Amino acid sequence: MTTPVIIPADLWDEDDKTGSIVLWLYADGAKVKQGDLIAEVLVEKVTLELEAPATGILRIQVEPEVVVQKGDTVAVIE
Amino acid sequence: MPLTPELRRSFFEQMTLSRAFDDQMIALYWEGKLPIFQFGAGPLPGELHCSNGAEPVGAGVCGALSADDMLTADHRPHHVAVCRGVDLDRMAAELLGKKTGLSQGKGGHMHIYDPSVNFASSAIIAEGMAPAAGMALARRLQKRPGVAVAFIGEGAANQGAFHETLNLVGVMKLPFIVVVQDNEWGVSTSKSESTAIERNSDRAASYGLAGEFVASNDPDDIYEATVRAVARARAGQGGTVLELKTARLAGHFMGDQQAYIPEQMKQADPIPLYRAKLLRDGVLTEAEADAIETASKARMEQAMQFAKDSPYPEPAEAFDHVFAGGSEASDKQEAGAAA
Amino acid sequence: MSARILTMSRAGREALDWEMERRDDIFCLGEDVYKFGGIFGTMDGFGAKYGPERVISTPISETGFIGMAAGAAMEGMHPVIDLAYIDFIGVCYNVLLNTASKTHYMSGGAVKVPMTLLIGTGGGYNNAAQHSQCLHATVAHIPGVKVVYPSNAYDAKGMLHTALRDDNFTIFLTHKATAGVGWMGTPIKTTLSEVPLEDYTVPFGKVKIYREGTDVTLIGLGMSVHECLKAADDLAKDGISAQVVDLRSLVPLDRDGIMAAVAQTGRLVVTDEDYLSYGVSGEILATIFERDPTILKKPPIRVAMPDIPIPFSRPMEQAVLPLAEKIAKQARKLMA
Repeated sequence: MTTPVIIPADLWDEDDKTGSIVLWLYADGAKVKQGDLIAEVLVEKVTLELEAPATGILRIQVEPEVVVQKGDTVAVIE
Repeated sequence: MPLTPELRRSFFEQMTLSRAFDDQMIALYWEGKLPIFQFGAGPLPGELHCSNGAEPVGAGVCGALSADDMLTADHRPHHVAVCRGVDLDRMAAELLGKKTGLSQGKGGHMHIYDPSVNFASSAIIAEGMAPAAGMALARRLQKRPGVAVAFIGEGAANQGAFHETLNLVGVMKLPFIVVVQDNEWGVSTSKSESTAIERNSDRAASYGLAGEFVASNDPDDIYEATVRAVARARAGQGGTVLELKTARLAGHFMGDQQAYIPEQMKQADPIPLYRAKLLRDGVLTEAEADAIETASKARMEQAMQFAKDSPYPEPAEAFDHVFAGGSEASDKQEAGAAA
Repeated sequence: MSARILTMSRAGREALDWEMERRDDIFCLGEDVYKFGGIFGTMDGFGAKYGPERVISTPISETGFIGMAAGAAMEGMHPVIDLAYIDFIGVCYNVLLNTASKTHYMSGGAVKVPMTLLIGTGGGYNNAAQHSQCLHATVAHIPGVKVVYPSNAYDAKGMLHTALRDDNFTIFLTHKATAGVGWMGTPIKTTLSEVPLEDYTVPFGKVKIYREGTDVTLIGLGMSVHECLKAADDLAKDGISAQVVDLRSLVPLDRDGIMAAVAQTGRLVVTDEDYLSYGVSGEILATIFERDPTILKKPPIRVAMPDIPIPFSRPMEQAVLPLAEKIAKQARKLMA
């Protein structure tokens, strides 16, 4: 079973703004636990945090500096 | 000079020009900084502290000064500089780091210098205080007229430099005014959190100075208070702490989300308020006010174009101006910056 | 769980949080620290967690609150102060120069001043002459102050634990570009490290060999370490094997470690974003010349900020920073 890691709709206020992942706190293929802080997302000058939605192996799909929007899947957890 | 309709119209012109300066700089600021924010990216790099909301201070105070008077500003200098008549093209070019800038790209937005209108600045908090007093002292020694005016924020009034300078001004009876721009916030710290008493103008008494407080953020009131302070200074009656309630509408600097400001503390924009007042008083018609706003934007667009069209300095120019009297840094250049 | 990769900012915060949870003597102070958590977020969220008595937002009164920190330290506390940019030390220099640094000595060891001063350094982002300086030599020159300067997350956490457990005054420097904070772009990869959850210390006064090499030694500190690493990558393309040494600590300075590293290659480029003259780069060369200049095969080269105020405009600032391209060029000269 895989769980997608999605940029939550409430991570920042304005829907039209985009962000970018600046840091994955775990390497691709690392084991993560539900609730772990796994990535930093930068929106304008504000750093926001992404948590692991499940426990399992992190498979990163979006590298740092790629533009992301709310609802984008940026990784999956297997 | 009495508060004539012509003067009030000029306040509105100055305020809208200052706002046009900041608004157009803000628009340019984000270019190259999204989605990855980096201070150093884009055509307008570095920190940017805009004056939106403080325009009445620039217009009202500068309107009461003469060409002889001397000004020092801080890290938020645009409104004072624009209203003092600092060359708009060259100031815009300086913000963009261009060779045609006031400092040929060496200073940037926090370090605006224009000796032709006696304007200087420093980005270290309260650092403009004592040099302004020194400028006043120099004029006394030179037997030349001139009042020195230091512009600081309310947060700077808790620095030692503020208190030490005021005592010196009091002892020496220097022609000096400190304009304490109380916009309520030092970055995220409110005045009530940082300052032991409500008004810095009350602190003037400790140093034998006059204290005045203007609550309205209205250039008419600010002008009249400044006229009184200038008259005292010119008459040899000493200095004034002139505290002006004002606004900080664009945050401490660009990118400041200001989430720490509660809803009930949101500040009013003084420009539409002043416009409405001038319409009410029959100083301007709707069409005239619109024409002034349009002209201010157009003038600033012209300055922006000048700045954008100007060349960058050559890298080697970094070594000029370390000392007066020519370049002496060539050995250092070879050792340290050999490219 | 697999190892976490942290920024220096998060790693430092973890160390301070760990110590604050367990010790009542530590408290934080500085401008905007309660709401903003310090320039690098080292105290991020501490206001809510520890309350306004232990996380004190101060007025803009550096002489006052850093002097107060020294007094609190003399009375058995360990204050942790955020001073934002090192350019601001001018405002509170007397406390550093004459009080926090010298009290232990002048009291014959009777009075301790345990405090940690967190300061951001450096430029490269167009913030001009009053907000871009390094000035680490200016503080390292004062007897009685420990000065440390980690350049990666692992060292940031371990060295902050060390500072907080030290009975002395420590100035803990972080170059703004290395911290991994949102206003300086994407974190530089070589600043990120796998950081253990548990506490650990990294001792002061030991250089770190970031990269082994046999042809030329590149010494750096703070941001210039990462420029040295980039230069080493570039040199490797020409078959030049560059060793990269991170000083990590200025006081104490690991003179033995410096000698041992330089002896391995006999060729030296010292990099420093602080001003060239009367600074760290000269101190390193003096050490070598005093101890054993024969370890050098060629005269050493310094790549440092020239003795000029830091210019605002990008073409001028980029030209004077000790960047990788410049370092590699000087290293190639030594190999010629």
